[in-house]
Amino acid sequence: MLNFDWLRGVSPAVAKGVFLTLFIVSGLLVLMIPKKSIYEGVEDPRWWHNLKLWAFGVLAIIFTIYVIF
Amino acid sequence: MLSGIDYFIVIAYLVGIMVLGLYFARFVRSADDFFLSGRTLPFWAVGMSIVATDISAMDFVGVSGQSYRFGMAAGNFDWLGSMPAMLLAAFIFVPYFWKAGLYTIPEYLGRRYNDYVRGAASLTWVIFFALDLGTLFWATAVMFEPLMGWPPWFSIIATAIVVGIYTSIGGLTADVMTDVVQMIIMFVGGAAVVVVGYFHVGGLGGLADKVSVMGDAYQNHFKLIQPADTQTPYPWTGILFGLTLVMSNAYMIGNQAIVQRCLATKSVWHAKASMLCGAFFKMFIPVLVMFPGLIALATYPGMENGDQAFPTLVKNLMPPGLRGLLFAGFMAALMSTIDSILNSTATLWTKDIYQKWLKKNASDRHYLVVGQMATVVLLIFGAITAPLSQYFEGVYVAIQTFLSFFQGPVFSILLLGMFWRRATQWGGLAGLVGGIGTSALLYGFRDSLFTIQNPFLYVSWWSFLAGVLLNVAVSLATRPHPHGRLAGLVFGLPKDAKGSCEVAAC
Repeated sequence: MLNFDWLRGVSPAVAKGVFLTLFIVSGLLVLMIPKKSIYEGVEDPRWWHNLKLWAFGVLAIIFTIYVIF
Repeated sequence: MLSGIDYFIVIAYLVGIMVLGLYFARFVRSADDFFLSGRTLPFWAVGMSIVATDISAMDFVGVSGQSYRFGMAAGNFDWLGSMPAMLLAAFIFVPYFWKAGLYTIPEYLGRRYNDYVRGAASLTWVIFFALDLGTLFWATAVMFEPLMGWPPWFSIIATAIVVGIYTSIGGLTADVMTDVVQMIIMFVGGAAVVVVGYFHVGGLGGLADKVSVMGDAYQNHFKLIQPADTQTPYPWTGILFGLTLVMSNAYMIGNQAIVQRCLATKSVWHAKASMLCGAFFKMFIPVLVMFPGLIALATYPGMENGDQAFPTLVKNLMPPGLRGLLFAGFMAALMSTIDSILNSTATLWTKDIYQKWLKKNASDRHYLVVGQMATVVLLIFGAITAPLSQYFEGVYVAIQTFLSFFQGPVFSILLLGMFWRRATQWGGLAGLVGGIGTSALLYGFRDSLFTIQNPFLYVSWWSFLAGVLLNVAVSLATRPHPHGRLAGLVFGLPKDAKGSCEVAAC
């Protein structure tokens, strides 16, 4: 049990799907963050202060990497 | 061996960093300046500093060694091992820590649980960082020996002196600002090796062709996801449960050396943005530290010690000038990690142990001097214990082994502390101590319990689970905290609630 023997039947392709799903779920959770929280601490908000865009940017990079490799 | 121009580049780098670090010493007038830069840092400097802190010389030597032996799966530590955790840190944990005005993560645990949890967590981190310093110093010696012909003791002492001078005087501001320069040098130097090696093996296609003809043992070398029954230390189950769900979160949320920088930013937006900025730069790290191992495998197959892959590549492929640039980048990676560890450990010692337990209500000047003295003592301790690293299989695995002992338990109490109001002080203590005890037991009997070579990923998962279960069981059996005491410390309970807790003693 300590070695996760019960998951040995799961193929690496399915496992890759699990990780890709994790990135998608992370993106959905970021999408749900209230706007007020995103701009908290900014006196004069501009579009680039939107931290959701930053998060989507890095999520897109890592998603692409795990799709390829 | 380095040529004249290489030595010039290295010496220019050392002098430049020393001058830059000492320049920022003029801004240190109080303990707050020394430990938190007076909370004035911008997101971009902290973001770059997070990456420079996280990536050490050990990653150049250790990850290259791991990718030489086990392939691209070693890159999971900088991709899966960072991104999801840094998002969680940026949007949930760091804003709460910043708004609470904390100096340290154990300080949060002290407010959320009790002073025993704070003391135990802080002491654990201090011990880990002290041992980590020794490992880092040893990594230096491993790299310097074939390149420069320096004996290990000389390398260790030389590094300690250079870093020690500006860190003990300039505090966190000097650390962060030198980290910015060091990250740039590290990226340029690392990229030089990758570009030269890339063309030497004939591009990505040539690299894949050369490795794939080496036999069945290398068929998974270009796959990030390894089967669950792989004999490498990176089965996907360990990567998911141990690395992604536990170790990465514990590292990015509970590691004082990482989070302390975010606490020193000038606003809560800068604190969040610094984590995301760091996440962006982190995406490029595996290219710098993992690909050299694969290039070395294609160029120099059959090396018994994977940790020699990177030094061998540098020695044989890099022309004069570029070799010095890489060497400066390597030193930048090493020094940026060491200075961060030194400052963070000094903060933990001074704030969580010395000020809390040994000498309360002393002057600000007194705590500043204590922090500076702690920095020097740690340096000496790290240098003396450095040779112990040679008794572990690979320097990188050594540090992961140290981490896995307490990362899981610390993250378990942070997670329940932030998201479960019912978690009590005794639950937190039981979770922390019991979790670390579980780690020690699992590692002690690892040969009979686990099937892979080094089960540190599994150990961190199971010790995390033990920490959660113990915390829940003991919390349910003990008296809950009043909601007023938890305000500003638990997700969903804002700080301005009536009766909110403002001081550690409440």
